[in-house]
Amino acid sequence: MKMKKIFRILLVMTLIGIMTLTGCGGAKDNKSANSDGKTAEKEEDKTNSEEKGTTESAKKIVVFQSKVEITDQLKALAQEYKAETGVEVEVWNTTGDDYLQQLKIKLGNNQGPTVFSLAPGSESNELSAYLADLSDLSFVGDIAENMADVKEGKVTGIPYTVEGFGVVYNKGLIDASKVTDFASFETMLKEQKDAGINGFSLSSESYFLIGHILNTPFALQGDPGAYVEQLIKGEVTLEKTPEFVEFAKFMEAIRENTNNPLEVKYDKETGDFAMGKSASIHQGNWCYGMFADYDVNFEMGMMPLPILGNDKIAVSVPTCWYVNSQATDAEIQAGKDFIEWLYTSETGKKYLMEEFGFIPVVANMKNEKLDPLSQAVAEYTNGGKTIPWPMNSYWPAGIVDVYLVPVAQEFFTTNMTGTELLQALNEAFVEAGK
Amino acid sequence: MKRKSDKAWYALFVLPLVFVFTTVVIIPFFIGIGYSFISWDGMPLNKKTFVGFSNYIQLFSDKNFISSAGHTLLFTVAAVLIINILGLAFALLVTGKLKVRNIARTMLFMPYLIGGLILGYIWQFIFTDVFKSIGETTGLTNIFFSWLLDPKFSLFALIIVATWQMAGYIMIIYITGIQAIPEDVVEAAQVDGANFWQTLFRIKFPLIMPSFTICLFMTLSNCFKIYDVNVSLTKGGPNRATEMLAMNIYNEIFSLNHYGYGQAKAIIFFVVVAVITLIQVSITKKKEVVM
Repeated sequence: MKMKKIFRILLVMTLIGIMTLTGCGGAKDNKSANSDGKTAEKEEDKTNSEEKGTTESAKKIVVFQSKVEITDQLKALAQEYKAETGVEVEVWNTTGDDYLQQLKIKLGNNQGPTVFSLAPGSESNELSAYLADLSDLSFVGDIAENMADVKEGKVTGIPYTVEGFGVVYNKGLIDASKVTDFASFETMLKEQKDAGINGFSLSSESYFLIGHILNTPFALQGDPGAYVEQLIKGEVTLEKTPEFVEFAKFMEAIRENTNNPLEVKYDKETGDFAMGKSASIHQGNWCYGMFADYDVNFEMGMMPLPILGNDKIAVSVPTCWYVNSQATDAEIQAGKDFIEWLYTSETGKKYLMEEFGFIPVVANMKNEKLDPLSQAVAEYTNGGKTIPWPMNSYWPAGIVDVYLVPVAQEFFTTNMTGTELLQALNEAFVEAGK
Repeated sequence: MKRKSDKAWYALFVLPLVFVFTTVVIIPFFIGIGYSFISWDGMPLNKKTFVGFSNYIQLFSDKNFISSAGHTLLFTVAAVLIINILGLAFALLVTGKLKVRNIARTMLFMPYLIGGLILGYIWQFIFTDVFKSIGETTGLTNIFFSWLLDPKFSLFALIIVATWQMAGYIMIIYITGIQAIPEDVVEAAQVDGANFWQTLFRIKFPLIMPSFTICLFMTLSNCFKIYDVNVSLTKGGPNRATEMLAMNIYNEIFSLNHYGYGQAKAIIFFVVVAVITLIQVSITKKKEVVM
C-alpha cells in the first residue's frame, strides 16, 4: 500500500512537471512570436529585451547568405567584426541548393536571419515585404548605376559584386578572335573533337545546363522584360525569333560534338577544363576558385557565346545583401551597421576585395588582385560590352529547375530537333508563367 | 481504487504523446486543409486569396501531376513486390541453418542505416560512372550504360535503390514473425511428410500473417511517400520520368511558390495513400489466424 502511495505521488508530480514544462514552452513561444520575436534563438530574445531602452543596436545578429564559396571567409570576418565592435555575428551555413527554400521557411516562421542574401529580380520582388529600407547607408550614393536593388524609390539591396558568364576558354587551344559566329563555333567544336579534346562543355546542374546558356538569346532581345511577357501571353514564339533559332543550332552542334552534359557535374566540367581535356566551358568568373586544386599551366580567358555574332558577355549582380524588415528595430540597426562597416571600414573592404574576390561595385573601391576571369569580366564591363540577366529579372520563379531542366534533359537524351527544343521551351514558359 | 491508478498510468504514457501528436500532426493537418482553398505564395506578409475548390479542380488537368502519380503507382507496385519478396527470402535464409546467419543479418540490414540521400548519391555514381566503365570494358553496352539517362531504366534504378534500402528492414520484421512460430507445429508438419514448400505455404505463411500486414503497410506507405532517394538519385530526371508525387508537390510549393495549390495536391495525395493502405490493412488483417 505504501509503495502504491509513493507511486501515485511520483506520478502526480511527473504529470504536473510535464504540464508546467509544456505550458511554459507554449507561452514563451507565443510571446516571442507576438511581441518582439523574429529571432532565431531564445537567448537572443533575452539579450534583446535587456538591451531595449538602453542601446539602439542589438548585440548579436544572424547572417544567412547563399554564396557557399565565401562562407569560411565570412566567418573569419565575423570574428574581426566582433573584435572591432563587440557585436556578435552568427553565420548560418547553407548547402547553396536549398538556400531560398530555407530562407523562406525561416522568414515565414518569424525566425528569419537579420541579414540575408537574394538574387535581385524575381526573388527579391516576391519577398519585397521583408526587405528593410537601406537608403540611409552612407555609401549608397557611390554604388554603380543600376546595381543596387531599388524598390519603390528605396534602396533595399546592396550588391555583392558583379559576375559575368560566357565561354571560358583555354587560350592555348582556342583563338577567340576566330570564334565569332555559329559557323566558326561549330568548326572549332569539330576541330577539337578531331584532336581528341572536348570542345565545349556544359554540366548537369540546372543553371549550368540550360539556365545560363538560354539567358543569352533572351538578353539579346531589345527589351527582354517585354519579350518574356509577350512570350507568356503567346504573342511571340521562340521558333520565330531569330536569336532563338540560332540558339537551337548551337544546342544541336553541342549535342553533336561534345560530351553529354548530363553525365558531367560541375566538378568534372571545371576539372576537365583545368587539365586541358576540355577546350572551353560555359561558365562564369565564379568558377576560378575551382581551379585552385589543379596546376593550371595555360592562360584562360572569357569570350561571348557568339549567337548571331554576339560579342558581349552576360554581366549582372548575382546577389544583394538585404536586411530583414521583420526583425526588431535594434536588430535592423545592427544589420545596417554591419553592412555599413563591411563597405566602408578598412577591414570590411579588405575582406570584400581580397578574401571574397569581389569585383568592386562601389566607387573608390579597387581590387588589385582580380583573377584572370574576373579581370575579363571587369574589362567587358568597362568596355560596355555586357548584356543583362533576364533569367533573374524576368523569368517566372522556379522555372529553371522545374520546367527547363526536364526539357534540356529530353533534348540531350533523345534525337529531338532544335525546332522541337524551341517548342518545348516555349511551352515551358507559357506553363510556368500562368 | 485499482482502476483509478490504472487510468493514471495510462495517462502518464499516453498524454505526452497525444500532446505532441496533436500539435505537430493534427493541428497542422487541419490548417493545411484550410490553405488548400486559397491562392498564396507561402510568405505570411503576402496576399492570400480565397479561391474555393479551384485548386482541386485545377489539379485534375495538371499533366505533370497526373504523370507523376502514374510513376509513383508504377514504382510503388514494383518496389512493394520486390522488397517483400526479397525481405521474406532473406528472413527465411537467415533463420535457417546458414552458418554465417548473424553476419548475413547485419550486412543485409546495413543499407537501412545509411540515409536515403547518401544512398542515392552512392548509387548515382554506380549507375553512371561504374556502369559505363563496365559497359566499355565488357562490351555489354546494351545493359551497362548510364541508366540514369534513360527514362525507363532510371525508374528501374530507383526501384533497385529503394529495395536495397528497405529490404533489410522488412527482413527484420519477417524474422521476428518467423521466430515466433512454435517449433512443434513445424515439426508436426514435417513428421506428417510435408515438404519445404508445403510447410512454407500451409504452416509458416498463415502464422506470419501479422508480419505481412505490417510489412505491406510499411512498404506501401513508404514507397508512396518516397522523396530522399528520388531527389538524390535522379532529381526527377530525365525529363520528369522519375518525378514522384512527393517531389512534384515539393516543387510546386517551394520552387514555383504555389503554396495553396501544392497543399491541395498534398491533401489528395494523403487521401489516396490513406485509402490504399487502409484497404490493404483490412484485407490482410482478415487473413490473420489466431493461434
